Amino acid sequence: MTATENPPTYKWIGTRPIRHDGYDKVTGKARFAADLDLPGQLRGAYLRSPHAHARIVSIDTSAAEAMPGVKSVVTGADFPELAAKNPEHDVSVNVMARDTVLYHGHAVAAVAANTQEAAAAAAAAIVVEYEPLPALFTIDEAMAEGAPLVNETNFTKFVKSDEPSNLGTVTNLERGDVDEAFANADVVIEREFTTASVHQGYIEPHACVVDTGADGKASIWCSSQGHFRVRSSTAEVLGWDVSRIKVTPAEIGGGFGGKTTIYIEPVAVRLSEKAGRPVKIVMSREEVFRATGPAPASKVRARVAANKDGELIALDAWMAYNIGAFGGIAGLIGAMSVASYKFPNLRLEAYSVLTNRPKSAAYRSPSAPHAAFAIESVVDEIAQQLDIDPIELRLKNAAVEGDLTAMGMPHPRIGFIECLEAIRDSEHYRSPVPEGAARGIASGFWFNIGEQSSATVHLNEDGTATVITGSPDIGGSRASMALMAAETLGLDVTRITPLVADTESVGFTDTTEGSRTTFATGMAVVQACRELVDEMRARAATSMGVDLDAVEWVDGEAVAEGQDSMGIPAIAAQAKRTGGPLTATASLNASGAGPSFAVHCCDLEVDEETGHTKVLRYTAAQDAGTAIHPSYVEGQLQGGSVQGIGWALNEEYILNDDGSLDNASFLDYRIPVASDLPMIDTIIVEVPNPSHPYGVRGVGETGIVPPMATLANAISRATGVRLTSLPMSPPNVLRRLNER
Amino acid sequence: MPIVHLMTDHRRFTDGEAVIEVDGATVGAVITELERRYPGLGEALIHGSSAGVNGEVHSEPEYLAVGPDTDIYFVAPLAGG
Amino acid sequence: MNRTHVSCTVNGDEVDFLTADGTSLLDALRDELGLTGVKEGCGTGDCGACSVLIDGKLNCSCLVFAPEAEGTEILTVEGIAEGDHLHPLQQTFLEGAALQCGICTPGFLVAAKALLDHNPDPSETEIRYALAGNLCRCTGYDKIIRSVHEAAVQLREVAK
Repeated sequence: MTATENPPTYKWIGTRPIRHDGYDKVTGKARFAADLDLPGQLRGAYLRSPHAHARIVSIDTSAAEAMPGVKSVVTGADFPELAAKNPEHDVSVNVMARDTVLYHGHAVAAVAANTQEAAAAAAAAIVVEYEPLPALFTIDEAMAEGAPLVNETNFTKFVKSDEPSNLGTVTNLERGDVDEAFANADVVIEREFTTASVHQGYIEPHACVVDTGADGKASIWCSSQGHFRVRSSTAEVLGWDVSRIKVTPAEIGGGFGGKTTIYIEPVAVRLSEKAGRPVKIVMSREEVFRATGPAPASKVRARVAANKDGELIALDAWMAYNIGAFGGIAGLIGAMSVASYKFPNLRLEAYSVLTNRPKSAAYRSPSAPHAAFAIESVVDEIAQQLDIDPIELRLKNAAVEGDLTAMGMPHPRIGFIECLEAIRDSEHYRSPVPEGAARGIASGFWFNIGEQSSATVHLNEDGTATVITGSPDIGGSRASMALMAAETLGLDVTRITPLVADTESVGFTDTTEGSRTTFATGMAVVQACRELVDEMRARAATSMGVDLDAVEWVDGEAVAEGQDSMGIPAIAAQAKRTGGPLTATASLNASGAGPSFAVHCCDLEVDEETGHTKVLRYTAAQDAGTAIHPSYVEGQLQGGSVQGIGWALNEEYILNDDGSLDNASFLDYRIPVASDLPMIDTIIVEVPNPSHPYGVRGVGETGIVPPMATLANAISRATGVRLTSLPMSPPNVLRRLNER
Repeated sequence: MPIVHLMTDHRRFTDGEAVIEVDGATVGAVITELERRYPGLGEALIHGSSAGVNGEVHSEPEYLAVGPDTDIYFVAPLAGG
Repeated sequence: MNRTHVSCTVNGDEVDFLTADGTSLLDALRDELGLTGVKEGCGTGDCGACSVLIDGKLNCSCLVFAPEAEGTEILTVEGIAEGDHLHPLQQTFLEGAALQCGICTPGFLVAAKALLDHNPDPSETEIRYALAGNLCRCTGYDKIIRSVHEAAVQLREVAK
């Protein structure tokens, strides 16, 4: 179902062709990184830290090196020291510890051997002497006065700082007069919210196959959301020129932000270099949980002031994000993501806090879910207290174009109101709440980003086209590229082959993240196709013997008065005669990525004997700008919603006292399964983004922002209890119910 | 003259001033002038900001042309997952 | 090194291979027979990406020792289509956009086939519970369930 304002008529955009790469994926032919093998390849295995924080006194690899089948061993000593200010410094240390291990599971050494078993046995035979150091795991511990340092190389960003600190960033955003507003408000609600670390949970573990040659170059096949970043980060960690590395993206089995960084590639390169053989590294599921970045845990204190007619007049929030052992900007982004309501008075104090836990990584709309959980819960509580319908309250206060975000910039055209109306007018919201159940509403958004993309379009001799980009396809973006090319060229989408090429075969392209691909890479594809259209017009003009100005492009044909029109196959057939092969390339640094707002609605029931929450019905409305391939837009909305449901109801990192992860498996880190859920209904709202040729807004990330508050709001109405701590798992819910 | 809007944390360089008129034909020229007037601010903006201009956020905006009435919002670099 | 000789039928073909002690059927299928359509998501039987049918019964191949396959008939995702002719499940998965990254898709196809082989007219609840052993992180399961349902409808039509 869609709700669209003044939709233009498209021929291909908005249709639902079978994705071009789909056949390989349903037949098992699609090659993910672990599916690739090179002749003579070795397998790599790691030795990881058993301590959450310790100095490495010595590493003795001699026993490992002597074991049969072992061909190379690497430690931190095999990688150059990067300056603390180098943007890749933290990644480099995370890839392999130097003189200190910073979290349980931190890589200490790696071995390449003929078999996985031999490599693992050799890694276990490496002798490391540690001097344990004090380790901190929580926000409170790390922020306490006089707390020991988590990471001696961390200096707080955005403030003057000469001393290392446990704070990654400190951010303040303010407008208006918050204290005056609170003093005069009719209603004030204040709550403290906590969330636990959660993992992106991609089903495919990190994997790479690396071959180094005598020419000093490396070829990397890997699972990644951004192979150009794999190239640049790996080069920096190794101390190499970027041109020595070629990266080919394999099909990727899920990322959600967790594969926008590197873990294993530099280690595989170094092992391969030293052994003179290809090296394959595949992380185990346990390693993925112990040593790759989850989303941060958080603590948010949110206070909202309102008038009795429901006007939200002030927000005062303190936010802290537990980002693991390396600095990052989570707190800053979380604070910036406060931008859904007008809030004339606002004060946000946000911190990212280091602890001796794995380096956190992005997870769809990084930092926004934590902020939205808090603010959407408090706003809902105000609606309850004032007895105002939660959608009406939001409609009254919703940000529109020109309203200021927390960082002070005016919103461009946005579709928040349209999403609220879509839910308000939906069959779900109009239907009565089922007996024994309760209903919750919440909203969210993500800014989305533009960044750099390149695209090349070749017209083949038979009039078909090949569209080449550098954006790894994590959700069906190749189909969207083909559709945008089809629309621009006037060519049947089944006559277009979309590809993702390696770092040597397509222009520089930034990572598939930030919901940027359909927007920015799509923009590059459109631009390349428009150039190709101009070139085809020129060729047609030559063939027809008319001026270029006389030729128009209509529905995939060159049309000139008094001439027979020429379709693409005819123009392609004349390519050599009219000037040569027909190819166009475009590269850009895209700006104008439009935010994508969403509103979710959930009916659920809570079993008060077990604390179990059953989601009965779920609807997600989200602004896609223009839905290029509606099935894959729906897929993003559904996937994000279910990840959010898992985050809300069950997922959490459970730490032992020594900082090790207790639940490092899919058995005990329980993500939603099919039997936990109903259908996830979607409403695609289309408020076109004026900055994109087809009005596209990225949709990939926003879906994870509303669910936690959506469910907390419903549970509050079901039980009378306002849950402010995630997950709202059965034991946690029961405990709160019993306190009533 | 272009009008610069600063986030709270950058106002520590300007004694609390949030909205400043600054001459310059490009965002980069504006930043250079800001550094001249408020030492340290230009550096902070170069390394830690994107620029919101005419409703669009631009990352690494040094050469972006701005007109006499342009509002420039310096915001933190955005990312995603 | 002790290697066991295993003979079995995989996707309709008689095959044999050598396997070292402790090797899982998953690793044998991938490394000895080149059937990389069978995926490892966890190695501990929790995600279902390695789902295969052994004598018609759904199994996590990561929990089966390779020698246990001796004399059995195994079906992997590579054996679901008949040459170029896709099984209705594969076709409905494509038309229904039931895959995004596709890593879980082989396991789901095998598990769904196991379901429909035994229960040609499953309810939504039955489909959800039959597939509860297969994790998907991309789709939220909605389109997978719909596609399985549609395939069941089509198979019943063909059977008439």
